[in-house]
Amino acid sequence: MEQILVNGAILAANYALIALGITLIFSIMNVLNFAHGQMFMLGGLLVYWLVVQIGLPYAAALIGATIIVGVIGMAFEVFFFRQVMRNSTREENTMLLAVGTALLLENAALSLFGEKQRGVPPIVSGVYKLGDAFLPANRAFVFGVSVVLIVAVLLFVNYSRTGRAMRALAQDRTATLLMGVNTARVSTLGFGLGAALAAVAGGLLITVSGVNAGVGTAISTKAFIMIMIGGAGVVSGALLGAVALGFIEAFGYAYLPGSLTYLMIFVALIIFLLIRPQGIMGKPWG
Amino acid sequence: MNMRYFEARDLSVSYDKVAALHGVSIGFNQGQIVSLIGANGAGKSTTLRAITGLKRASKGEIWFEGERIDQVPPEKLVSRGIAMVPEGRRVFPHMSVRDNLLMGAHTRKDKAAIASDLERILNRFPRLRERLRQNAGTLSGGEQEMLVIGRALMTRPKLLLLDEPSLGLAPLVVRDIARLILEINREEGVSVILVEQNSRMALRISQYGYVLETGRIGLEGASAELLDNAHVRALYLGG
Repeated sequence: MEQILVNGAILAANYALIALGITLIFSIMNVLNFAHGQMFMLGGLLVYWLVVQIGLPYAAALIGATIIVGVIGMAFEVFFFRQVMRNSTREENTMLLAVGTALLLENAALSLFGEKQRGVPPIVSGVYKLGDAFLPANRAFVFGVSVVLIVAVLLFVNYSRTGRAMRALAQDRTATLLMGVNTARVSTLGFGLGAALAAVAGGLLITVSGVNAGVGTAISTKAFIMIMIGGAGVVSGALLGAVALGFIEAFGYAYLPGSLTYLMIFVALIIFLLIRPQGIMGKPWG
Repeated sequence: MNMRYFEARDLSVSYDKVAALHGVSIGFNQGQIVSLIGANGAGKSTTLRAITGLKRASKGEIWFEGERIDQVPPEKLVSRGIAMVPEGRRVFPHMSVRDNLLMGAHTRKDKAAIASDLERILNRFPRLRERLRQNAGTLSGGEQEMLVIGRALMTRPKLLLLDEPSLGLAPLVVRDIARLILEINREEGVSVILVEQNSRMALRISQYGYVLETGRIGLEGASAELLDNAHVRALYLGG
């Protein structure tokens, strides 16, 4: 039992980074980032490349990969999303564009890194014992870094001037513009930050379970599940969704055979959405 | 040619090729309140949107303090001293009253002055002080109107554009808002362009008025005269 809780907490912390990122992009841009899992994957593979091929220390590789994917996210906003939003009147167009960017990243990763599962050796070795549960030191490290980053993002969004402008932008774009906010710049920053959060999650997880170029869609699906549970576009909902999915998954893997866990999760999600379509923390539409 | 404090010359605006404004010109001196009145769809809000650049005019010029501003992007006008309170209040509903007010100071770096402006505005609106930590979405309509006016004042405007501030408010609250606009104008020296469906209120507190009729200035003059004008009385003041 303790082991399941420990595993659940570690998964939840990593998932929270993913869910926070996709929520930032969704609420600021009103774009569902279908490429979020691919950004996670790219973060992981870039860390692998920088550590194993280039020989950088892990910390430098993690920071480097996060910045690279963050810049890719900003470029996507400036060159793709902004243009499509300006020229189209239908929201589906940005969704199609997001799917396109997912394919672009996945195929770029396939040609650059190949299709093999890649891993990075654990950063810290050793195992802690918490009651009856084993906690490998490396997983504790991943958990710790994730929690620190989550707290940092929450502080930034809630208490900094730019974070406040991001929240304003998510609520009323015109009113935000009238406050003198350079909304284009804040959108770019928000997209970059969301992408960077996906990348750092991938860069952390590659030391635990490895990453391959095809993992993106599965991660995006998990991100969607989390924001559907918690409520799309709400930060507290993203965190709640991450905690819920992390622990459900940990329990499922412990008690259910193999692939049954996600089958159950999807069935439960469908029933849940029938009862509460806006998620736990979400506001009903309209 | 003698330039006035604010001048919009011959503004034309169209939405998807349908003309909404045909050559509208307005102008006034510093410290004045001018009102734009007229029926729904006459072009009052469009005029404000053209001034702030939310909707670009296809023709015409806008001058403020001797500088041409019609090509300035909307977010840059704030630091030039023009603040607009849009129609429908548009508070940030999931943000505290305090954060809403601080959004008004987004372009400012002077921390001490921001803090003292916040204090001054909370003194002017004691109701907002009581609700400082509450989300803006939970406020009443009148409180939200005070919040958006306070938020605009946090930008330290020289010119305030108010789009239908009385919309949907109870008569007593409308009177409060009208008094407030007068106070801000007198005590802080802020010039005001007031767009209103409530023509009587607008003409009572302004010095000069423009009557918009299907995208044109149908009539203009001193507000006191417009209040007595038979045409205005019949059409906009309910006889």
